[in-house]
Amino acid sequence: MKEIFKTGVVLLIICFVAALSLAFTNEITKDKIAEQRMMANELAKKEVLPAAATFQDVDEDLLLELIESYSPIIEAYIGYNDSNEVVGIVFKSTPTAFGGAIEVVTGIELSGEVTGLRIGSHQETPGLGAKAADADFYAQYAGKSTESYIGVSKTAASGNDIQAITGATITSDAVTVGANASIDAFKMIMETGGVGN
Amino acid sequence: MENASIFVIMVSAILVNNFVLSRFLGICPFLGVSKQVETAFGMGMAVTFVMTMAGTLTYFVHHYILVKAGLEFLQTAAFILVIASLVQFVEIVLQKLSPTLYQALGVFLPLITTNCAVLGLALLNIQYEFGLIQTIAHSFFAAVGFSLAIVLFAGIREKLETSDVPLPFKGFPIALISASLMSIAFLGFTGLV
Amino acid sequence: MNLKNLTNGLFKENPIFVQLLGMCPTLAVTTSAENGIGMGLATTAVLVSSNLVISLLRKLIPAKVRIPAYIVIIASFVTIVGMVMEAFLPALYGALGLFIPLIVVNCIILARAESFASKNNIADSVLDGVGMGLGFTLALTVLGAVRELFGNGTIFNLSIFGAGYKPALIMILPPGAFLALGILLALYNVYQIKSAK
Repeated sequence: MKEIFKTGVVLLIICFVAALSLAFTNEITKDKIAEQRMMANELAKKEVLPAAATFQDVDEDLLLELIESYSPIIEAYIGYNDSNEVVGIVFKSTPTAFGGAIEVVTGIELSGEVTGLRIGSHQETPGLGAKAADADFYAQYAGKSTESYIGVSKTAASGNDIQAITGATITSDAVTVGANASIDAFKMIMETGGVGN
Repeated sequence: MENASIFVIMVSAILVNNFVLSRFLGICPFLGVSKQVETAFGMGMAVTFVMTMAGTLTYFVHHYILVKAGLEFLQTAAFILVIASLVQFVEIVLQKLSPTLYQALGVFLPLITTNCAVLGLALLNIQYEFGLIQTIAHSFFAAVGFSLAIVLFAGIREKLETSDVPLPFKGFPIALISASLMSIAFLGFTGLV
Repeated sequence: MNLKNLTNGLFKENPIFVQLLGMCPTLAVTTSAENGIGMGLATTAVLVSSNLVISLLRKLIPAKVRIPAYIVIIASFVTIVGMVMEAFLPALYGALGLFIPLIVVNCIILARAESFASKNNIADSVLDGVGMGLGFTLALTVLGAVRELFGNGTIFNLSIFGAGYKPALIMILPPGAFLALGILLALYNVYQIKSAK
């Protein structure tokens, strides 16, 4: 009996100390982790809409409508410049590519120009679809117009078409689906009076 | 993945994202217990049993204890303890209730605690934000995928035993290269879902 | 203190090439040399810490519950390493993903705890942890470098073969992991057989 008791106590103490040290580490790193996640998010927004200095969430009704009717969009932000004027909108969408959902952040200026696109988390095949996250690919989207949809060409980029990644057409298509959904949503917002200043 | 249907989960877990051949989970038993089809089959059964139970149990632990108490950071530690206790528990119960089943699966049970497929599965279930039914389905089919891979592989290795392999390739190297060829075959399933 | 404990893990008893332990992370994360070194060092950190603590407590832990006790200690260190990595090296943390928490079930760590740290003094246990950890890191880096070289034409993101090289993508895909490790093991065997003569 005494043996069992002693064994139990030792195990309990180990578990207790372990949990305590974990709680302690969690306390120290918690803020830093949250900050890292936020920074990654903010950075992507700034990169796709360089003219903006700060960002604000769109109001809830609009966001619900976007999620409802402009799938795969999941988030949208309004970008303001230094003098607090609206300069454009950033959309985050999650179209389905080869390895599952892929995060696409698209920035569109009020003038109707796509100013940038970035790829967030994805599970594409390394060396193939994963090349979507390389600047060579995503930089093609910058400067495209919202006048028409962005197309995907297998051979060469031209007009409003981008060139697909060799051997990864599904990924290229998926990213473009995200970009075009953003274009649709942008046009809708503009036609219904834009995002007030 | 949140709304994936059971069928999609099945195809994905068994063929497309096969635990062993494309996710690299459970490699130790895959290489260690695959010399004979019969033992491989036993290991597959034991893993299926434990993985389905562990997947379900960790779902409850995560959603009803850890999240409620705001202790998500204890996830890894809590899950591995749940799995280790579960394996012990299953071993004791099997021994008492069904000695025949215990004889068939018993030797594999202790090995399963350190099988990363079980912990990996529990963590993946949470990462994919599966509901209860999806969790059970994914756990079961992932284990079926594991069993399929290990039984097929054992079949190949039985043949390899009698083949004349160059000396440096004997044993693990040739086994790994065979696994590579199997993995290439399974690569053909990507894009199904 | 015995310096042999340090060099043992590096070559003679290399956990991967000789003992074939810890295969899952070895195959999964070695798509590049950088990932290999990151995974190796994370595992080393856990291995050294757990060896240290288990050696320290070896006389206190009752034999009957030693495995659960070891698992709790190892799981705590893994969680701590994971949190620190997410806070300070978010990119690497993202690349290694699921395999950070899975260090818990890496057979190397439990094997060293059971067969070495629980029987030896603190200094030797730490040396053993460092040696085994670095041996593991070495193997992972070599495997990662080989796969990156053939699958992408680079090592540590530096181009080796030049732009004209058409990468053998299969090396970065899952089959390449099995293939590269199989061939490396065979080469190691050739060396063993030669030196035995």
